[in-house]
Amino acid sequence: MPMQPPDLDLLRGTLDLLILRTLSWGPMHGLAVLRWIEQATGERLQIEEGALYPALHRMEQRGWLEAEWGYTDKNRRAKYYRLTRAGRAQLAAELSKWSRYTEAVGLLLAAEGGA
Amino acid sequence: MSGAADRWPGLRRAFRLPRSRRRLRDAVDEELRFHLEERVEELMARGMERAQAEREARARFGDVEEYRAQTRAIDERILREDRRMELLDALGRELRQAVRTLGRSRGFTALAALTLALGVGATTAIYTVLDAVVLRPLPYAEADRLVALSSPVPGVTPDAEWGISQAGYFHFRDSVRSFESLGAYSRGRLAMTGEGQAELVEAGIVTASLFDVLRLRPALGRLFTAADDQPGVAPVGVLAHEYWTQRFGADPAAVGRTVLVDPFGAVQVVGVMQPGAKLPDQPVDLWLPRQLDPAAPPQNSHMVFHGVVARLRPGATLPAAQAELARVTTAFPRRFPTAYSESFLRETGFTTKAVSLRDEVVGGTATVLWILLAAVGLVFAIACANVANLFLVRAEGRRREIAVRRALGAGRSHLALHFLAESLLLALAAAAVALALAQAGLRLLVAAAPAGLPRLAEVQLGWRGAAVAVLCAVAAALAFGLVPLVRAARGVDVSTLREGGRGLSASRGRHAVRGAFVVAQVALALVLLAAAGLMAESYRRLRAVRPGFDAAGVLAVGISLPRARYDSYEKVAAFHRDLAARLRALPRVRAVGAGNVVPLAGYDGCSIVFVEGRPVAPGREPPCIGTHFVAPGYFAALGMRVRGAAPGWAETQGAAAGVVVTQALARRLWPGEDPIGRGIKCCQDGPPYYRVAGVAEDVRGSGLDKPPTEAVFFPVVPLKGTMLWSPQRSMSVLVRTSLSDPTAVAPAVRRVLAEMDPSVPLGSAEPMSRVVAKSMARTSFTMLLLGVAAAMALVLSAVGIYGVISYVVGQRRGEIGIRIALGAPIAQVKRLVVLQSVRLAVAGVALGLAAALASTRVLASLLFEVSPTDPRVLALVALALVALAALASYVPARRASRVDPAEALRSE
Repeated sequence: MPMQPPDLDLLRGTLDLLILRTLSWGPMHGLAVLRWIEQATGERLQIEEGALYPALHRMEQRGWLEAEWGYTDKNRRAKYYRLTRAGRAQLAAELSKWSRYTEAVGLLLAAEGGA
Repeated sequence: MSGAADRWPGLRRAFRLPRSRRRLRDAVDEELRFHLEERVEELMARGMERAQAEREARARFGDVEEYRAQTRAIDERILREDRRMELLDALGRELRQAVRTLGRSRGFTALAALTLALGVGATTAIYTVLDAVVLRPLPYAEADRLVALSSPVPGVTPDAEWGISQAGYFHFRDSVRSFESLGAYSRGRLAMTGEGQAELVEAGIVTASLFDVLRLRPALGRLFTAADDQPGVAPVGVLAHEYWTQRFGADPAAVGRTVLVDPFGAVQVVGVMQPGAKLPDQPVDLWLPRQLDPAAPPQNSHMVFHGVVARLRPGATLPAAQAELARVTTAFPRRFPTAYSESFLRETGFTTKAVSLRDEVVGGTATVLWILLAAVGLVFAIACANVANLFLVRAEGRRREIAVRRALGAGRSHLALHFLAESLLLALAAAAVALALAQAGLRLLVAAAPAGLPRLAEVQLGWRGAAVAVLCAVAAALAFGLVPLVRAARGVDVSTLREGGRGLSASRGRHAVRGAFVVAQVALALVLLAAAGLMAESYRRLRAVRPGFDAAGVLAVGISLPRARYDSYEKVAAFHRDLAARLRALPRVRAVGAGNVVPLAGYDGCSIVFVEGRPVAPGREPPCIGTHFVAPGYFAALGMRVRGAAPGWAETQGAAAGVVVTQALARRLWPGEDPIGRGIKCCQDGPPYYRVAGVAEDVRGSGLDKPPTEAVFFPVVPLKGTMLWSPQRSMSVLVRTSLSDPTAVAPAVRRVLAEMDPSVPLGSAEPMSRVVAKSMARTSFTMLLLGVAAAMALVLSAVGIYGVISYVVGQRRGEIGIRIALGAPIAQVKRLVVLQSVRLAVAGVALGLAAALASTRVLASLLFEVSPTDPRVLALVALALVALAALASYVPARRASRVDPAEALRSE
């Protein structure tokens, strides 16, 4: 698959939200998180993949995620991340923040269109 | 992802491999490798070539190394934080545990904490005094650049040091390049009349340059300047901040007011000094200008100033200044030919030296305080030995607990934390108690300290003292806390896990450690006891010295006659005659006299004296001898025995004035001859001479430990035709009473004075017995404190011996039981126990004697007629310690003799 320039720039801080949301479906390793994001967004949202790991480890440090080594279907060792209770709370907070934000931006854009 | 791990994340952590930086790095590497490899496989599965797939995967990933580094950095931060949290967690847990264990064994806790507190408290108290008096710099800016000047005259007396002459002061000021500035000061108790009652003030009579030298600034108004410090200029004064606050209610209007100060006359106050400013050796109420006259003819007179202080120029060193001073002094005979001859310099060894002002002020007290600090340090060491022993015994009892913990996998660092938490807690409790003890001790110390101890008022338990206490306690705690651990480190002792696994042979090594502690304790205690004993012996001998007068029942009253009213010898004499007659009439007063000085307070200093028929050979110097002035009754009031006759009032009218000389002076001037009737005079040769009318017994005027004073006592009214000194307006009136406490007559004396002349201020009223006590203050202070330290050492050692012997008896119950069962007499069993204690004590005494012989030399300068290795004192303290050991083991011995063999053997 040829590399295309991402048509949407990833807003700073949004990556955390995406990871939290993705992991809310269950424990996954890093690559799986990426795949999920790709599939769910129809590959519209492209992330530089390496950026995922500092983000995952930082969120682990904050106590939102927990990590553990496990085995994939192909019996390979991989590091699995899961949401902690604090992570779920964080996700809820981020989600409501996000919806307030998009709502506000939507209102603003609608108002501009109406003028 | 087990459910248990989910619910108890802590549990998982407990079983996880310990994390390390290396493992974390490997994990990051593996995680990234997995990602890339999986991606490559995925891409290849979609039909890419491996090489292309790898390129594509890397392109999607971005800068691998950059992300790797970022991720690792985050992990390491997590690791550090976790470790800190774990440590804090563990510490908190262990502290809570420690509180519980210590609370369970209250006796142990109290004993250990108190013992430690005693040692730490004593150390803190003495350190605080040492810090305030010796270590802390003087209260002047850049005080380390200040030096004090004096003139040693080894040819006169080896240790004698003269002050600086006026000519010398100007000479040094103008020619010593190492000095940035030079100042001189005198002190005086002057009568000041502001409004109302006259009162005596401590005056600092200083050159204006002294303010530059000491870097003093006014708080209000101005200080006096070189222009005020000229002869003939109307005198101005500066009030000390403290005096201004206390006497003038900090009224700014005090500046500009005029006060009457005798003998200065009207003095205008021009300013208030900065708070806390004082002369190097004493506080000041009022600063007055010295008003030296540079044009005055040079004189070989060295009692002009109390002190001369210089500030070193930046870059100048003390040795350089020293060398320069010595060189400049050799120029005296050329600069001042009328006052100093080459032969004078040659014969007296006259030179000038500079010492750091701090050393000058602190002087001999530093030695005393360092010795005392060493003494309390030894007490602290003894206390530590005791507490260490307590911990050992306790660790013994907890060997099973330790073994169980080790067997269950507790790491060494974990165990260390466990024991440290306990001993730290104990130490902090001890430090708190120690601070309270130190505070109380300091109050006693300050009260008992000799008057000569400078800066004592500044002694306060500050943060430095507290820091010392906490540091001592924590250091001790670290040491004790690790004692049980050293044992535990040997590994899991399986035998201790078995119930009752307490082999008799296993304890031999531990007994040796405990025995060593006791031996060390006894040795240290012996050193302290020897020091205290030597001081006590010195004190005893000092007290046995007859000072040359009888202090009991004598009150010395300091009075100062105003210059304006008492401007002639006759008026001064008439006042004293009248006063003596009135005081003599008081009930219980036996005798009254007066003199310008009293023995043991102010007998130092000398003037040149000439002897009739003994012309001074050319190139020789006349003898310098103490000259004092006395009114009739002086000798009788002091109880000083006089052979011949002391002049009475009839002879004091200037006709044929007789003088009294001391026995020591008579021996020196007229060896083997009768001094009565000989001619002697002060300051200038040639008739008329005074006639020696009486010889006073040997009097130790400058200290009980000093040789008898050589002095002449002149009458208060001089013989016509002799060189005149000014009328003696400041005198000590001596009242001999039949009271044990002569201060009881002080109010009556004050009343009599007020009747005679209310303008005469009464300076002080002090019993002569106190003057004597003060002169011995350094010895008694050192003796007292060393005695306290030695007593503490004794008690602590006794407790230590008792503890160890009790423990050993407990351990040997089985063996003792067997002995008794086999028919050993009770006395023998007791002897066995007592001997064990005595053996330890004897070893300690032997060690201690060696240490004492090596170390009591530091006391030499404080001892009087006692050798630092006095065999009687050493033998006595050695015996005392052995006896103490026997005594301390008596209770355990009795317990041993009561062992029931059947019971003891059953429990074995």
